[in-house]
Amino acid sequence: MASGGLVELTQGAEAKIYRTVFLGIPAVVKLRISKPYRHPEYDRVFKYKRTFIEARVMAHLRSLGVRAPSVLYVDPDAGLIVMEYIDGCRLSECLSEMPVGRVAEIALDIGRQTSIMHANSIYHGDLTLANTLMSSKDEVYIIDFGLSGYSRDVEEYAIDVHLLDRSVELLYSELKNAFMDGFWKGYSINASANFVEKLKDKVRDVRLRGRYVEERLRRRVSKDRYA
Amino acid sequence: MENAVTQSSLGNIARSIHEGGLSKLTVLGIESTSHTFGVGVVRLSSGAPEILVNEFSRYVPEKGGIHPRDASNYHAKEAPKVLYRALSKAGVKLSEVSAIAIALGPGLGPCLRVGATVARFLSSYYSKPLIPVNHAVAHIEIGKLLNNLRDPLVIYVSGGNTLIAVQRRKRYRIVGETLDISLGNLLDTFAREIGLAPPYVVNGVHQVDACANWGEDFIDLPYTVKGNDLSFSGLLTAALKKARGAKGERELGNVCLSLRETAFNMLVEVSERALVLAAKSEVLLTGGVAANQVLNDKLKSMASLHGAKFYTVPADYAGDNGAMIAWNGLLHYVHGVIVRPEEAFIRQRWRLDEVDAPWLPED
Repeated sequence: MASGGLVELTQGAEAKIYRTVFLGIPAVVKLRISKPYRHPEYDRVFKYKRTFIEARVMAHLRSLGVRAPSVLYVDPDAGLIVMEYIDGCRLSECLSEMPVGRVAEIALDIGRQTSIMHANSIYHGDLTLANTLMSSKDEVYIIDFGLSGYSRDVEEYAIDVHLLDRSVELLYSELKNAFMDGFWKGYSINASANFVEKLKDKVRDVRLRGRYVEERLRRRVSKDRYA
Repeated sequence: MENAVTQSSLGNIARSIHEGGLSKLTVLGIESTSHTFGVGVVRLSSGAPEILVNEFSRYVPEKGGIHPRDASNYHAKEAPKVLYRALSKAGVKLSEVSAIAIALGPGLGPCLRVGATVARFLSSYYSKPLIPVNHAVAHIEIGKLLNNLRDPLVIYVSGGNTLIAVQRRKRYRIVGETLDISLGNLLDTFAREIGLAPPYVVNGVHQVDACANWGEDFIDLPYTVKGNDLSFSGLLTAALKKARGAKGERELGNVCLSLRETAFNMLVEVSERALVLAAKSEVLLTGGVAANQVLNDKLKSMASLHGAKFYTVPADYAGDNGAMIAWNGLLHYVHGVIVRPEEAFIRQRWRLDEVDAPWLPED
């Protein structure tokens, strides 16, 4: 299959990642591994579903102009995807070295691409800084679509935004405002103001859903009192 | 202790003992956030913390789940007995106690109020400082103390909570959590609705585990992971629907088995992702559901895949108890965290990530 050797890059939580050359193209092999803690039948279905949806969404997004790596080969039964190799670094690792202005530009581009994704009924499901790449050509890529899917429910889109917001807060709390402002600016390029408002409301709902959020208690109490 | 976290805290404690002219520090902790009324006493002398006593009394509903009012009535009746038992077992008089620690939240309002009332009374009557303790932080710290851990990935699962946390910048940060019901609530509600519970746990085995042994085959149930967050409510509804249509023990067993497998796999998956992202070498399972052997085995197997060591907490300290409140109270106390009794309000909602933990190391 591969015309070059396999070099293991990393072992993630779910898959092993190798570098190779596939049909002359620098490529990454993502191989989902079986887990000893899963029921074997369950494990099989799990690997198949995740691999299948990831490849399908990546190919679809590519056709829409969202920067996701191109899929070169897929075998869901084996839990295997071969995709284009993107030279660069994860934003979770390299965002801190950038000036605030640059961070805002990157966030704007993530917002723009996310809105295209959502406008086509696709949610990412794990949109965090660890799943966004800055390529050596200064382009922002979105990766890791194993938890993604198709839905017209605003809730799913709101969860994408919520996850991104929280990952920025966790890793670079000082950049959060600049980042999220940029994100919404980018998101609003293609989305209507009406939709953006609706989405922002939903993001707030999702955040308040965490355990023991005091704001939620207050909100409910005042609602009960004045309704 | 070899533990660096505790070491630095102990340095401060030793200093305050020295400065205060005290030979030792004894903290009494009171827990009443939910079904347990517990009193624990922790003493620190010559630098080593020692749990003198961990007494508790647990409310078990005759039918249904925990009724907050019934539970609080139960606590009000049990409180003096548990307190008396704890003090006599520990051989400590209230006048000898350095401070009183109280779990002010999160939890059930009526239950919290019983413990808070007792603690405020003891504090004002005996003129002892009162220390506000967050129940979730206490669960984590007792696990770290008993296992001698420095910086674990924390998996806290109980009837009220399901969350994954790491320590960063002197607080516990929530990496992932449930968006609706907790794992313990899922298992308990399921067992109750299909008529297996109460009692929820028999001879240390949860009814869902007992029922899972009757089954063999796997049924597809909704698996809801959103990033690092979990959602169990859809799973509960789907499993109940399947269970109501099940014919015979074998089929019901299949539902129990699949429910447990799905729920635990969801938790293990997000824990695994958090472990890889946070690059920790220790994993700590704490909270009431930590007693579950199947979950222990799965997490242990997951941790070993990534070269991390897995730790759990003995049942008496994993479930709600007073000793953990006393120990965490002691950590707060030596960093000067106290509250005036008239301002010691309960907080039904008090998130783990809102609590400053000054004893944690710099990072």
